[in-house]
Amino acid sequence: MTGVFDRAAGEVAGQKKILPGKPRIAVGLATCGIAVGGEKVYERLQEIIKKTGVDISLAKTGCIGYCREEPLVNITIPGKPLVILHKVTEEDAEGIVEAVKKGTVPYKKALCRVPSWDHVTGTVITYGNGFDEIPLYADIPFFKHQKKVILRNAGFINPEDIDEYLAVGGYAAAEQALTRMDSETIISEVEKSGLRGRGGAGFPTGMKWRITRDAPGAAKYIICNADEGDPGAYMNRNEMESDPHMLIEGMIIGAYAIGAKEGLIYIRAEYPLAIRRLVHAIGEARALGLLGKDIIGAGFDFDIRIATGAGAFVCGESTALVASIEGRTGRPHPRPPRLTDPGGGLWGIPSDLNNVETWCNIPVIIRNGSGWYAKIGAEKNAGTKVFSLVGKVDRVGLVEVPLGTSLNTIVCDIGNGGAQGKKVKAVQTGGPSGGCIPVRLFDTPVNYESLNAVGSIMGSGGIVVMDEDTDMVDIARYFINFATGESCGKCVPCREGLRHTLILLNRLIARKGTAKDLETLALLADTIKNTSLCGLGQSAPNPVLTTLAYFREEYDALVKP
Amino acid sequence: MTQGKTGTELAEPPKKPVTVSINGNAYRADEGECLLTVAERVKIPIPHFCFEQSLEPYGACRLCMVGVVHHGKTVMETACTLRAKEGLTVLTDTPDIVKYRTILFELYLAEAPKSAVVKEMAARYGVTKTRFLRRVDTGDPLGGACILCGLCVRVCNEIMGAGAINFINRGPYTVVNTPFTEPSRDCYGCGACAAVCPTHAVSLEDRGGERILHSWSETKVPLSQCVSCGKYFAPAALEKSVLSRIEPPLRDDLEGLCPACRAKKLAKKEILAATGGDPGDA
Amino acid sequence: MEEKTLEEIIARYDSPTGKVLGILGDIQRSEGYIPRETLEMLSVKIDVRISQLYSIVTFYSFFSLKPVGEHVITICMGTACHVRGAVGVLDALESLLDIHGDTTEDGKFSVTTKDNKFTVEIARCFGACSMAPVLQIDGTLYGYANPDTLPAILEQYGWRAA
Ligand SMILES: Cc1cc2nc3c(=O)[nH]c(=O)nc-3n(C[C@H](O)[C@H](O)[C@H](O)COP(=O)(O)O)c2cc1C
Ligand code: SF4
Ligand code: SF4
Ligand code: FES
Ligand code: FES
Ligand code: FES
Repeated sequence: MTGVFDRAAGEVAGQKKILPGKPRIAVGLATCGIAVGGEKVYERLQEIIKKTGVDISLAKTGCIGYCREEPLVNITIPGKPLVILHKVTEEDAEGIVEAVKKGTVPYKKALCRVPSWDHVTGTVITYGNGFDEIPLYADIPFFKHQKKVILRNAGFINPEDIDEYLAVGGYAAAEQALTRMDSETIISEVEKSGLRGRGGAGFPTGMKWRITRDAPGAAKYIICNADEGDPGAYMNRNEMESDPHMLIEGMIIGAYAIGAKEGLIYIRAEYPLAIRRLVHAIGEARALGLLGKDIIGAGFDFDIRIATGAGAFVCGESTALVASIEGRTGRPHPRPPRLTDPGGGLWGIPSDLNNVETWCNIPVIIRNGSGWYAKIGAEKNAGTKVFSLVGKVDRVGLVEVPLGTSLNTIVCDIGNGGAQGKKVKAVQTGGPSGGCIPVRLFDTPVNYESLNAVGSIMGSGGIVVMDEDTDMVDIARYFINFATGESCGKCVPCREGLRHTLILLNRLIARKGTAKDLETLALLADTIKNTSLCGLGQSAPNPVLTTLAYFREEYDALVKP
Repeated sequence: MTQGKTGTELAEPPKKPVTVSINGNAYRADEGECLLTVAERVKIPIPHFCFEQSLEPYGACRLCMVGVVHHGKTVMETACTLRAKEGLTVLTDTPDIVKYRTILFELYLAEAPKSAVVKEMAARYGVTKTRFLRRVDTGDPLGGACILCGLCVRVCNEIMGAGAINFINRGPYTVVNTPFTEPSRDCYGCGACAAVCPTHAVSLEDRGGERILHSWSETKVPLSQCVSCGKYFAPAALEKSVLSRIEPPLRDDLEGLCPACRAKKLAKKEILAATGGDPGDA
Repeated sequence: MEEKTLEEIIARYDSPTGKVLGILGDIQRSEGYIPRETLEMLSVKIDVRISQLYSIVTFYSFFSLKPVGEHVITICMGTACHVRGAVGVLDALESLLDIHGDTTEDGKFSVTTKDNKFTVEIARCFGACSMAPVLQIDGTLYGYANPDTLPAILEQYGWRAA
């Protein structure tokens, strides 16, 4: 074990890595960047730098979330702004090194420049001035409407180097919480911040912490839900791949407030890179005395384990998640007991379950205060939320905006409307549990209540855009097919009801359906929603119910006259 | 095994009497008592498939839904998971419940088209037809009568401790059977699964010196033959596990005897003991 | 799988938390599927009934009881990939590899070519939705897949046009 945690030392070391006093080239290497060749760019750069012997520091970063423009590469030349290059290929590597050697950047590849960057938790990194022909970050339409709080470090720091996290204010909140705050102060800060769960239902986080802390028994667990089961949502993946320490720091603070000695991250097996980065980050944190015994010398013991899923959407549901961790099939059980109840949590111990992004909100709330946080966002919907804007939208990517931002701003201003100039018709929020919202309702502010009012849900933050060519009945069938395959099979409305919903939709699409079938479809959807045992069945009919409500004419057109 | 997931046990100790209202009538109940049990006791019918007194409420069949009236609003909940408390007010036949129950019965009729029990129960609630496509099950080991209530699996695992059968696959592909759908080595042949099955879907038969569990991949379990009268009386594995729970001297006495001969022997022993005779030559 | 290898895998898990799925995941990754003998050996070693392990393996889509081909191609059928034409990619793949897949009676989708070179499976989402449609071959992700680019990708894995 190392001695007492020394934040300042790490901070200095990290700043020397971010601003090394010589040129730095950093390649965006999250799963997304790798999938379009980022790794090859990195290897090529490495090769050239080695061969030519130039004094350039080469690093990996996470992802800034402008997915359409990947692979992205950042260049920092001392005294100059950080420049983000886009759509970089292996072939560009030579040119990049050549330019950097001359103290400049390949202008043709430049997306924007960043003279200084506010890492929100108290640290502003000042890069420098110059390269005036390159547009400013703040003028890029995709970035202009965003507010980066959770993604404040993503794409700027190396996620595999704890020093860089320390350099931008990392673990200052944990230090503050563990050495200068008690459980009660922390929980009431989280309550006052107004933070609500980012995993779907929007339950007040502070209240859930309080209930768990006050549950009978000394032992408590905290669990991070990193199952990210909504197909089309990937913000949690990026949060873990680009800034894993932010999650760990949030969990340390939560564990201290709740009184848990053990924390658990339940992560889907489809995210091998996120798992690797988390394992690495947990190791780094242990080495610095941020996990393990007597954390930060505050006399508090806590450690984090990782448990992997195995491909079952229902395991995002709390009781199924616990069953899965305990080595059983993920079949939900009726609540109560809830996870926070004695007998209900992991191994029967009261447990607090929060989504990845919920945990990621904690450090900034502690660092900047609940008052600061509560001012972001909207009434009863404090803070920002990261959305994955995908499907048939022009600018696909991860978008972070204050809650309460309208769908219009997200889809049209940030996303620039339909891909290839097509007209946008609707969006699906909340994945298979959510609903389709037609374009005429795009002034709906994105907050928990408004989305519910139009028949959808916030979910974990997936926004899939559909354009004029999208067949809405086919979309409903797609989601029902997904939910049928993911149903655990325990209760009849979901197991059998969804199967028959799918049969009915197939019959309609084959133009063999009748008006009576449409009636049965609606009644069946209503029954499944109201009688299913768990959230999967209770929300699975939403895509059918919303498309029936907003795109009825497409159903009617399929029915035999 | 999981620890502590026992809502009943936790709710048990203080047995305070409370009054609950069902369909407008007041009834006495113990605080924390399962509402479905209360209703059964006072003969108010609530349909159900997956409830069994000796097991934790499972909440799978969804048929036992009732309306709980709270501050003028009615929320649906399953009666098997509801606990009696003072002032609990429930309705068993609200228009919503009738509507949803009808669809659930129709789903069951389509899922288990061969089950007479399902047909009868559905008919009692006025459902005689289903608008859903019936499953065609060719060679279903459960004879097209299983509604996946899970009772057999739970009795086999949680009460008998045999763990011979379990759910296989998920969603609409779920079935109950032995692993690899091959004869099980863990099966005691106790037949508890068949006894507990609400739709009588589990088929087994005693033939010769064997019990054959047709539904469980034709698992065969040898039966013990009574050393005294020669009748086959119980699965050998089960007899062993029962005997292992009895004190050794008595166990030696009873080993290998069928229940009838056991009773005879015990009676004889008692008589001999009472009359001071020698039990040795029994 | 050798008994020793299995023991090494089991030894990685020092706590019951996350153990069973963790071990099964490691077996699946190392063998490409879960051999029956390994599952039975595991049942004895960790003292979990075979019926429970079998139930788990058939419940989670990540596990497979069938051996797979030399290369495993997984096509994402997530929402983003669906609206961007994943079905078309799957159709093209099926015709290139001359296979015809359908969901089997266990509800999983897995088809292997006659020469045992490729197995095609379906996934829900790789979290690379921005590059939809996405497919994965032996762990490597390919974004922006479309019927026209498929042959070139497959050729890297030894596929030749008939
Ligand atoms: C079928 C189903 C799938 C879910 N999937 C996820 C998921 O992938 N990630 C997640 O954080 N929450 C998921 N949830 C919600 C969780 O059950 C739980 O509410 C959440 O993790 C609580 O965290 P929060 O309070 O921070 O939102 C799912 C719920 C259901 C019913
Ligand atoms: S609603 Fe669906 S997933 Fe949930 S318990 Fe019922 S069958 Fe299982
Ligand atoms: S066989 Fe009978 S007891 Fe077992 S799940 Fe089916 S209906 Fe229930
Ligand atoms: S490109 Fe990395 S998250 Fe989109
Ligand atoms: S008896 Fe209540 S859900 Fe089956
Ligand atoms: S939907 Fe295909 S990668 Fe996410």
